[in-house]
Amino acid sequence: MLGPWCSPTGSPAPLSCETGCGEGSWILVCRLLVPTQVSLLSMEEDIDTRKINNSFLRDHSYATEADIISTVEFNHTGELLATGDKGGRVVIFQREQESKNQVHRRGEYNVYSTFQSHEPEFDYLKSLEIEEKINKIRWLPQQNAAYFLLSTNDKTVKLWKVSERDKRPEGYNLKDEEGRLRDPATITTLRVPVLRPMDLMVEATPRRVFANAHTYHINSISVNSDYETYMSADDLRINLWNFEITNQSFNIVDIKPANMEELTEVITAAEFHPHHCNTFVYSSSKGTIRLCDMRASALCDRHTKFFEEPEDPSNRSFFSEIISSISDVKFSHSGRYIMTRDYLTVKVWDLNMENRPIETYQVHDYLRSKLCSLYENDCIFDKFECVWNGSDSVIMTGSYNNFFRMFDRNTKRDVTLEASRENSKPRAILKPRKVCVGGKRRKDEISVDSLDFSKKILHTAWHPSENIIAVAATNNLYIFQDKVN
Amino acid sequence: MEFKLEAHRIVSISLGKIYNSRGQRGGIKLHKNLLVSLVLRSARQVYLSDPCPGLYLAGSPVPPPQPGEPAAGPPAGWGEPPPPAARAAWPEPETPPERPAGPDARRAVDAEPAAPGAGDTLQGGEEPAGGAAAEEEEMETGNVANLISIFGSSFSGLLRKSPAGGREEAEAEESGPEAAEPGQICCDQPVLRDINPWSTAIVAF
Repeated sequence: MLGPWCSPTGSPAPLSCETGCGEGSWILVCRLLVPTQVSLLSMEEDIDTRKINNSFLRDHSYATEADIISTVEFNHTGELLATGDKGGRVVIFQREQESKNQVHRRGEYNVYSTFQSHEPEFDYLKSLEIEEKINKIRWLPQQNAAYFLLSTNDKTVKLWKVSERDKRPEGYNLKDEEGRLRDPATITTLRVPVLRPMDLMVEATPRRVFANAHTYHINSISVNSDYETYMSADDLRINLWNFEITNQSFNIVDIKPANMEELTEVITAAEFHPHHCNTFVYSSSKGTIRLCDMRASALCDRHTKFFEEPEDPSNRSFFSEIISSISDVKFSHSGRYIMTRDYLTVKVWDLNMENRPIETYQVHDYLRSKLCSLYENDCIFDKFECVWNGSDSVIMTGSYNNFFRMFDRNTKRDVTLEASRENSKPRAILKPRKVCVGGKRRKDEISVDSLDFSKKILHTAWHPSENIIAVAATNNLYIFQDKVN
Repeated sequence: MEFKLEAHRIVSISLGKIYNSRGQRGGIKLHKNLLVSLVLRSARQVYLSDPCPGLYLAGSPVPPPQPGEPAAGPPAGWGEPPPPAARAAWPEPETPPERPAGPDARRAVDAEPAAPGAGDTLQGGEEPAGGAAAEEEEMETGNVANLISIFGSSFSGLLRKSPAGGREEAEAEESGPEAAEPGQICCDQPVLRDINPWSTAIVAF
């Protein structure tokens, strides 16, 4: 890899166009566990919390299903990294500040704030339980000292404010230090309260709750570039919200048929254009993408553009429809391209060409002959996400066996890396992995039948301007960084 | 023939998924059930369009399937639904000719219809367990045809009589014909009443 990544002053250098994913020059920065596990371990083993974040620990039985990470997202500067889990909890990590003594520690992320975003609910009218699992987190751009993010479960979106408090007023006249009211008769003097420093406290408060607008399960939220509105999408409808108004939203897409018997497709993901606040896209379970312009009409049921690739008849099987269902759609940072992920491929589309993608990358084509088994064990329904790097030159997505893949769009090279404790040491360069498809298995290759399908990487994130990536593997969060020479 | 058995197997797996989805936390997932229903429909189409071995030999350019050698592919129009008349006239007496060919044909079922020759080694281990069940299911072909037509008719056919949690999907279908017994499937054709493990599960759904 060429080019400076992080200059000593702390401002990241722009990514040069020679950058690519190369031959595996990624190193593991840290592996993070959710804080409850960290505290349990520190009590038992009496280890410094920082060491836990940097060291490798043997397997323990504390991991529960509630700890499974369900979403990962960097904020707009990359200083903060938020994760949501199945238990409805949000954990925010903050990048360690640059320090002269420990230059090598920059790039590590430590826990900044933890809060319970959503709780399980019960809809008595429909007699169904609403899961607390966090489906998506999206950050708002920072406009003051506080940080704002949206988090959503299947039914309710919440706006959270995360702020720091490092000073505390002392010397009240009417209350004592514990906050109890003083007997007015005992007050004989008057004083001005002063602000005194205190230990840094990070608090998260729910500022808005956007509820009762979705009949079906919310799969996406996206903040508009006007920073005043955002959208939430479920299986059949997309709603537009204003951040200030919680008791109503505009319905901008509705694909529910009058007769549910005619239902043939659902909405799977939606996103606003990064620069044009009137434009958004949504993907469907049929493998199509629609681009809509909100200026055209109030209800955007008629798309402005329709992206669909003709089906390859030679690949037809029982499961063709399932594997063509798009699980994620992302605009490039430039706004010129969209990337879609279906079960076996990642595709890049040019907004100006609707009849086929400009690039198609095979993520794990060796699974094509295993579709029936993957249907049986439900893996075929896994929803993988995909991400762009800051310069839109590299795309990344996850796979099974804790593998994740990067594709360099310029050099057309790709690499498979693994996020697991057994195969990586901190600061050591990650070794590229290879899946052996048939015939002789070479040393260091893994055969398709040995893949662990319970270890899937569905959620990844790429720092907006640097080559730092976050990879969620079940209940572990791995941070990898491009090696600084 | 192999395709019919493969389709049969996929139908039973799909029905199991739909049945299990009723108890899932968070309510019925519309997307997943839609995809399962599409698989069910594809499997049904193959099941109903794949001719039985007897018909295969008569004038067909493709040689009859050998054990261990899956056929080159179903007839070109496997994706198209058969005419309704043919479906209604699905003959029951077809069961006896299938049975002798059953064990051999089962061995040959290890590939997707669209990818003949591409073995699915993950299924290898499951063959012995699936074999016994398939043998039992072979006897019930008549019921299978009924069930396939019921579930294949429309997406809502799968969601009729789903529990309260699925009300949001079923809200358009309450005008459909109601069966007298609670818990039975709503359909136009006479509902099967045979007592056997497989169809009992479906009736319960």
